[in-house]
Amino acid sequence: MNSGVVPISNFQLALSVILVVIAGGISAALRLGLLKSLAWGTVRTFIQLTFIGYVLKYVFSANNLWLIFVIIVVMCFIAARASVRRTPNVPRYPVTLAFWSLLASTVLVGFIVVRVIINPVPWYSARIVIPIFGMILGNSMNGIALSLDRLYGESYARAGEIEALLAFGATPWEAIRGCVHDAMRAGMTPTINSLMVVGLVSLPGMMTGQILGGADPHEAVRYQIVVMLMISAAVAIGCLLLVGFSYKRLFTPDGALKEEIFKSRQ
Amino acid sequence: MENLLKIDNIRFTIGVNTGRVEVSGLLEEGGVLNICGPSGSGKTTLLRILAKLKETGGGSVFLQGKPWTDFSPSGWRRKVYYLAQKPAIFDGTVEENLKKPFELAAVKTDLRFDLDRAARLMERLYLPQELLTRDARTLSGGESSRVALVRALLVEPSVLLLDEPLAALDRTAASAVIELIAEWLEETGGRGAALVSHTGDIGGLSCCSILDLGGKEGDLSE
Repeated sequence: MNSGVVPISNFQLALSVILVVIAGGISAALRLGLLKSLAWGTVRTFIQLTFIGYVLKYVFSANNLWLIFVIIVVMCFIAARASVRRTPNVPRYPVTLAFWSLLASTVLVGFIVVRVIINPVPWYSARIVIPIFGMILGNSMNGIALSLDRLYGESYARAGEIEALLAFGATPWEAIRGCVHDAMRAGMTPTINSLMVVGLVSLPGMMTGQILGGADPHEAVRYQIVVMLMISAAVAIGCLLLVGFSYKRLFTPDGALKEEIFKSRQ
Repeated sequence: MENLLKIDNIRFTIGVNTGRVEVSGLLEEGGVLNICGPSGSGKTTLLRILAKLKETGGGSVFLQGKPWTDFSPSGWRRKVYYLAQKPAIFDGTVEENLKKPFELAAVKTDLRFDLDRAARLMERLYLPQELLTRDARTLSGGESSRVALVRALLVEPSVLLLDEPLAALDRTAASAVIELIAEWLEETGGRGAALVSHTGDIGGLSCCSILDLGGKEGDLSE
C-alpha cells in the first residue's frame, strides 16, 4: 500500500489550470458572463492559499500560544463579518455580537476537543489547534448566519402574532419563543443532516485530506467523528448565544415590538 | 362616575413625520370612548400607544388614577388590552386559539380557561360550538374577529381597546358584538372600552364620549 503524501510539483500544479479552462469554456459557450470572475477566483485561490501556506509554516514552527490566540481572534472576526453579511433579512446588525457568539462557542468547544479529547504535546500545538478551530468556525459561521436570518425573517412574517401575544401580557421571550425555535432549527439542521449522511453520500474534506496525506483511513475516520460532533456542538452553542443576544434587539425597552419589525407586516 | 382611563397629553407623529398629534381624553368606568377621525389621522396609533405596544413622544396615561409607569409593561397590557382590526389567529383549532393567552405565565397564575364561558360567549356572537374544533386558519374574516373578541373577554381586561371591531361584520353580527360589549361593561365595575371607528357611529353603546382626531394638529378634546 502506498503511504505518505504524493507530492504535486509546480508543473503538475500548473496543469490544474486545465480544469479552469474547461469551466471557462462552458461559461463562454453558454455566455454565462462568468469568465472574469472565474479567472479572478483562480488567481485569488493561488495567491491566498500560497500565502496562507507560508503563514502556517511560520506559525507551526513558532508554536507560540499567544500568536495562536491572536490568529483565532482574527479568524473569529473575519467569520463574524462574513456571517452578518449573509443575512439579507437583518439590517445593520452589529458584527460585535456575532463575534462574541463565535468566539465563545469556538473557544469552548475547541478547548474541549484540543485539551481533553486529542490532547497533543504541547496541548496548544498549532498543527492541531489552527485546523480544528478553523473547521469549527467555518461551520458555526454558516449556522449562525442561517439562524440570525431566520430569526428576523420569522419576526417580520409573524409580527402580528408576536404583538397579539404581547397584548395578552406575554413577556418578549414568551412572544417570540416560536421564532427563536425556528431560528435555532434553521441554524442546526444542515449540521444534523450532515451527521446523517456523512460517509454515505459525502466524504468530508478533512478525512479525504488526511487520507490523501497518507494517513490510515481508520485514523482519519476517528478524527472525522470528533470533528463532526464538535461542529454540531459549536453550531448549537453559537446559534443559541447569537439568538439569545439578538431577540431582545427586536423589542423596545418597554418590551413592545420595534416599529420597523411591526410595519414590515403591512 | 369614576375615571377609569385618563389620557394626558399623549404626543405622537403620524405618517413620516407629516403630522404631530397631541391628545387628551377621559374614559369613565362603564363607559365607551369613541376615537374617530379620517384614515391616517392616528386612531390605530393612539390605541397601540395606550396599550404600550408603541412608544409615545411624551405624555402619560393613568388607569384608575395610577400612572402607567407604576405598572410593568406586560402588567399594563393585561389590563389595557388592544384588539387589532385584523386580529392574529394562531395555528391550531379555535379552542386552542382561545386558550392561547392562558399558556402565558402572567395570565395562568390568576385565571383559568373556562370552556363553558367561552362557548356561551361564542353563542352570543352567532358562533356555533362546533367551531371550537375547527382549524382556526379556515375561519372567515368576520368569524376570526368575533373569536378574537371572545378571546379578549376571557382574559378579563379592565379596558378593551377595539380597532374597528365592526369592520368585518354584517349587520346582525355587528349588533350582537355591540350588545355583548355593552353587557360586559355593565357586568361589573372597573371596566371600559375605547373603540376606533371611521364614522363615530357605534349606536347602541351608551355613556359614549368622543375623541375626534380629525386629522388636525393640536389638543383634541373629548
